[in-house]
Parts: sequence; structure tokens; C-alpha cells
Amino acid sequence: MATVYLFVTAPPPLADASAGDGKRLSAHEVLEICAAENAAVRELYTNEIVGAGQKVGLRFDEQWEQLKFDAGPLPALFLRQTSKSLARSSVRLGLFLGSDNPVNKSNQFSGPQAAALQEMRRDAEPRSFFMNDVRLYTAMFPDFAVAPACVECHNKHPDSPKSDWKLGDLMGATTWTFPSNSVSVSETLEVLAALRNAFRDAYTRYIEKTKTFSSPPEVGKKWPSQCYCLPTPETFMQAAERRSSKPTLDRLLSRRQEVLRESTRPSGPQ
Amino acid sequence: MKPKAPRDRQDDSLSAVAVSPEAVARRSDGRSGPAPASTVRRRVGVGVGLCLAIAVLFALLAPGQEYLTAPGRMNVGHEQLACTSCHQPAPGSVRQQIQAGTRFLIGLREAPVDFGLREVENSDCYACHERPFDRHPVFFFNEPRFADARKAIAPQQCSSCHREHSGRRVTVQPGYCQHCHGGLEMKNDPLDVPHATLVRESLWLSCLGCHDFHGNHVMKSPTRFADAISSLRVGRYFQGDASPYPRELKMPARQERGDH
Repeated sequence: MATVYLFVTAPPPLADASAGDGKRLSAHEVLEICAAENAAVRELYTNEIVGAGQKVGLRFDEQWEQLKFDAGPLPALFLRQTSKSLARSSVRLGLFLGSDNPVNKSNQFSGPQAAALQEMRRDAEPRSFFMNDVRLYTAMFPDFAVAPACVECHNKHPDSPKSDWKLGDLMGATTWTFPSNSVSVSETLEVLAALRNAFRDAYTRYIEKTKTFSSPPEVGKKWPSQCYCLPTPETFMQAAERRSSKPTLDRLLSRRQEVLRESTRPSGPQ
Repeated sequence: MKPKAPRDRQDDSLSAVAVSPEAVARRSDGRSGPAPASTVRRRVGVGVGLCLAIAVLFALLAPGQEYLTAPGRMNVGHEQLACTSCHQPAPGSVRQQIQAGTRFLIGLREAPVDFGLREVENSDCYACHERPFDRHPVFFFNEPRFADARKAIAPQQCSSCHREHSGRRVTVQPGYCQHCHGGLEMKNDPLDVPHATLVRESLWLSCLGCHDFHGNHVMKSPTRFADAISSLRVGRYFQGDASPYPRELKMPARQERGDH
């Protein structure tokens, strides 16, 4: 009776997002793809929005969320906004930014993160570890000074503990967390969709804020390099996706090829 | 003298009391004849008891009576909430949940499932209290460097400081700032008593006198330590008293869930 109830006359089974079709990625591989997507979007935002925007009169500041303050988020705060949007999604992907020389002391690394950043200074390679208390797989990726705006702002900021940053320096690291170390392809796609949605949400918040400016920039298809204007969230995300989609697809396909090679390798002693 | 067979005794009783054939058939003890008065009383008692139990059950489950089954008084500000404001049904029908749970137990499913109601999570709190400018959003504390703070007060979960059904507003003890801000340094300290002194003297109860934890009150921190809200008032506010902070809020809580 129980077998008939549970299996033979069963209604459609509950979706099991963690189940896959055999091709699975480790948490580190998924986080590596996320970090690459994030790096592409941050570079776009830093160069094309902040860098070019400052030249046409747009202002970016850490107090950007204050009412009646005509400014947008600095790149680090754009990442923090992305991180907040991710926290609201159903995907348990965590994103944090920190450094051993941060402008804001609350982003100061300590413990395993400080140690990992020191190791990164030697080889610029990502680091992975497991946080036992919260059962989260964690990966840290180096964060380089990719645009003149990064260096200029950090060197000039009164609260910056270091004023001799150079382009290409390792300024800090992004830290990513995920609860599972065996991720199906469909789960990976969900994670990527949530991440891109978070980028869009962060940028949309900035565009919403510009509507309160005393002199709001025009929002359309043009970029700050062309005028006192900003691209719409759609235009911004299209540009971001153009930069990141191919590398992401390449990473997913290379993983699939690895799996195929493993599955066709002859068994037995090598 | 040969003793009478049981059948004969039943026949005798039948002859002594006049009862209908239905009454005879109603006896559940397998014997014919009318039920003794004690059995009838017992049945009436069970029937009345069952009716009362059902009535009590209906009364407890009736809309608006949730407080009767709750494990404690709702926290301050949550008095009008229904159970379903926080306790959301788990995905799937009961049958699907049983099937998925069984499949998980015998290894045919990777992830476990909730049965009936799912666990209350941070996202349930965010459904009403989402604030984009929160200066201490709980998910920040999942970062590795907060391991010690997690061990001490588990700030990565809303319910660690706002344990529901306690009849209070905040259930953690004031002074918790010490778990993360022990190394506080300020280049341009605006306060007349330097923050470094407050940290050195372990005056952790004073922090909330100038800074509300989530930053939702429209307020400017005083520059004179003497103008700070007293820790006593903050403590009473935690217990449920009126707020000592300015009344104006940057983003009041939603009155209904605003799920994404």
C-alpha cells in the first residue's frame, strides 16, 4: 500500500534543484565563473560610468545614498549594492569585498581572509576554504586596480591608509560563498541569472537616484563618454553581457568537455 | 445442580427488561441484550468529551485566535500579525512532501524537504523589513572574518537578536557592538569623548545612545557624549518601551509581506 501511495500513483515529484543530469561543478568552479562576471561588470562600471562620468560632471561618493546628495555609488559601493540584491534572491550566493588597506575600516580583512590575501600577493591565484560554522564553501579572488579611477580615488581619499596605489596593484579581494560543493548545471544557471539580476538591480538603484538630482542626467542609449547622460539599465546590462557571456560559456563548455573526457576514459589501472 | 450456560443467563436478562431489537444489536461487546447503565454513562461521557475536544480545537484554530496556540506573546510591533505572516507553507502538497521525504531517506533524492511549514528564515523578515541602506544587514555576517561574532551572538540570523514570541522588541543584551568594533579607530573623531576612549573603557552600552543598529531612524548623532540617549532608556526600548530615537523612520516596515 505504502509503495503504491508513495511511488506508483505518485503526483509529479517535488523539484530538486540540487539534482542534475550528471554534469556537476564544484563550488570553486561556479564561484570562478561568478567572479569573472563580476570583474567584467565592475570594469565596465568603473571605466565607462564612473571614470567617464566624472569627466562630464557626474559625482560619485560613499555618501551617495543620502537624500538630497547628487551622487552615485563608487565601484566598491556598487559591488556592495550588488551583494545586497543577491542577499534578497533565493540563491544562497554571498559576495563581499575587502582589503588589508581599505578606505572604510569596516572592510578590513582579518583571520583567514587576511592570510589568503597575503598568499595572493605572492602568486595572484584565488584561494578556497570551507567555513565550518556556517557550512559555506568560500573562494577569494584577487581584486586589481583595473582603471585609473580606482587608483586616483584611493590615493586621494582622506581615510585611505595607503596613497601610493598604482594601476595593476592587488588592492584587495572579493570573497564569495556558496552552500554546496556539487552544483548541477541548472543550479549554476540559476546562480548566474541571480547574479546578473543583482547587477541590474544595483545599477537601477543608481538610475533611480539620478532622478532626484537637481540636474538629472539624460538616461537613454548614450554613455557618459558622449554626453552628460547615462545608459538605461537595459543598455548597461547588454554591454555587460557582451563582455562576460562568451567567457562564461567557454568555462561551462570546457567543464563539459572535461566531463566527457572523464566518462570516455578507459577504466582499469593506468 | 448443573450450572446454567451463559446463553441461558442472557435469556433470563432479556426476559427481565423489555428492549427493542435495535438496542440489542447496538451492543458492541459481542453479547446481545441492553448495555448496563455504567456503559451507557461511559459512552455519553466519551461522546460529550469528543464534542468538547472538537469544539476546543475549532476555537483554537479559528482565525484571530492564534495567540492561544503561539509559544509566547508576539514581539512588540508584531501583535497584529497572523501566524502565516512568518510561517509559510513548505513547497508541494502533503503527499508530495511525504514522497520526497521518503525518497530522501532511501537515497533517491539529494536534498531534504520541509514538511507542512517551512523553517522561518531571514527572507521572511525581509519580506516586511527590507531596507536597502541597512547599516548592518544580517547577510554581511556570513563573511569569514565575523567567525568570532557568529560564535558569540550569531548575528547572521535576524532571529538571534529578535527571537519571536518573547513579547519584547530586541532579545539580545545591549553591548553586542564589542564583538566586531573592538579595534575601532577614527581619523577625524567628531565626539568630545573620543571613540578610542569609549572602546578602551569598554563602554559598549553607550554605542546605541548615538547610533541605532540598523540605521532606520532619521537622526544625527550628537557630538557631545552627554547628549547621548542613556543606556537605561535603550535597554527599556529593547524590552518593549517607546522608542527613545526620533519618530521619523527612513523606511517603515511593510504592513503586508512584499515577497520578491
